[in-house]
Amino acid sequence: MSSSDPQVRDAGYWSAQMAAVSLRRDRDSFMRIYDHFAPRTRLYLKGLGCPEAVAEELAQEALLRLWQAAGRYDATRSSLSTWLFRIARNLHIDRVRREPYWVPMDDEPGWVDKDDASGFSSAESHAEQVELQQRIEHLPAIQARLIRMSYFEAKSHQEIAEELGMPLGTVKSSLRRAFLRLQLGVRGQA
Amino acid sequence: MKPRHHLDEATVLSFAAGALSPEMVAVAATHMEVCGLCRERLSGAERIGGALLGQQQPAVGDTARGARLREAMLGLLDEEPKIEASQAAAPASSNDAPAADCLPSPLQPYFGRSWRALRWRWMAPGVHMIRAARGSGDTLILLKIAPGKSMPMHSHQGTELTQILQGAYNDALGHFAPGDVADLDNEIEHQPITAPGVPCVCVAALDAPLRFPGWLARRLQPLVGL
Repeated sequence: MSSSDPQVRDAGYWSAQMAAVSLRRDRDSFMRIYDHFAPRTRLYLKGLGCPEAVAEELAQEALLRLWQAAGRYDATRSSLSTWLFRIARNLHIDRVRREPYWVPMDDEPGWVDKDDASGFSSAESHAEQVELQQRIEHLPAIQARLIRMSYFEAKSHQEIAEELGMPLGTVKSSLRRAFLRLQLGVRGQA
Repeated sequence: MKPRHHLDEATVLSFAAGALSPEMVAVAATHMEVCGLCRERLSGAERIGGALLGQQQPAVGDTARGARLREAMLGLLDEEPKIEASQAAAPASSNDAPAADCLPSPLQPYFGRSWRALRWRWMAPGVHMIRAARGSGDTLILLKIAPGKSMPMHSHQGTELTQILQGAYNDALGHFAPGDVADLDNEIEHQPITAPGVPCVCVAALDAPLRFPGWLARRLQPLVGL
């Protein structure tokens, strides 16, 4: 996404809007979030193969969950877009793929911290979000393609390998490298 | 329990993306329940999903339809949130079996809640198995292998994801104890040998048939349908 777009606002802006929803049930802030993220969520769901009407319905439900669960949002734990991604992904698996045995990880941000002994902080700073965006834009072409096939088409390693005629091991090692490359800035380590 | 063998980062990424089969998810989630490192990596992979969602560029298109959806959303803001049946029911139902007898929660939909109620099937000397009855097409099995047994050398056409629940085994990749996961693909041929002491119980998801060489293959494969 081009940063020259006046509509583009950073993760800090959206966290502040969500904080206003969380603290004051601020409708105007929520509708700003809605106006920005609802079309993006619909597009994500359509990419996963949802028909237009289903994508619209699930996107509405995902955004409504943000409103209803706003009190549990903690901006220091997770960006708004990450939370919304989790909700939309889980809704898609529940409703569209109808996988009754899918054990969803919690939609809510911060579940990672359940285990205090893990020794990691899951804090996600806005600067890190910006850096992550930039790193995604600069992935090598093949890694970017595999990332898109994973996240936007929900293709398994095997499906990707078959579709691209690549050995399974190459698909996995490319995804691994992409993941490490994208974690680099986030974690501040190699 | 601090696992020493972890999920491949590529597996964690696909988990976050919603791109693993339910059977693979069951094993990966069983590992994540006991592994802070893999949960942390999952969180990182979900951030990538969040960033990708934020980078979507919707076309400026059907504004009338968008306006109707917006109106509908405004109308919904005053409604009381519905409490989902699954969320409401979950805490009560998890108290049925004593904690020590409980299977890891991601496995319960496939194998039930109780270790004691499992109905193991004999498969070969010292080897018992339960195959999950329902699934997406991938295979999910519980395996119980007597201590000190050598399993047949085998390789895989696809992915094999195995989480150790009890006991332990050793192979060329190392020592696998409760909490450890073996995330293997078709480049690995291995021959696990279970450790002495207690039986090794593990749960495995397979996305393609196992390949055993020789006589055992001819005996086992029709038997277990792997």
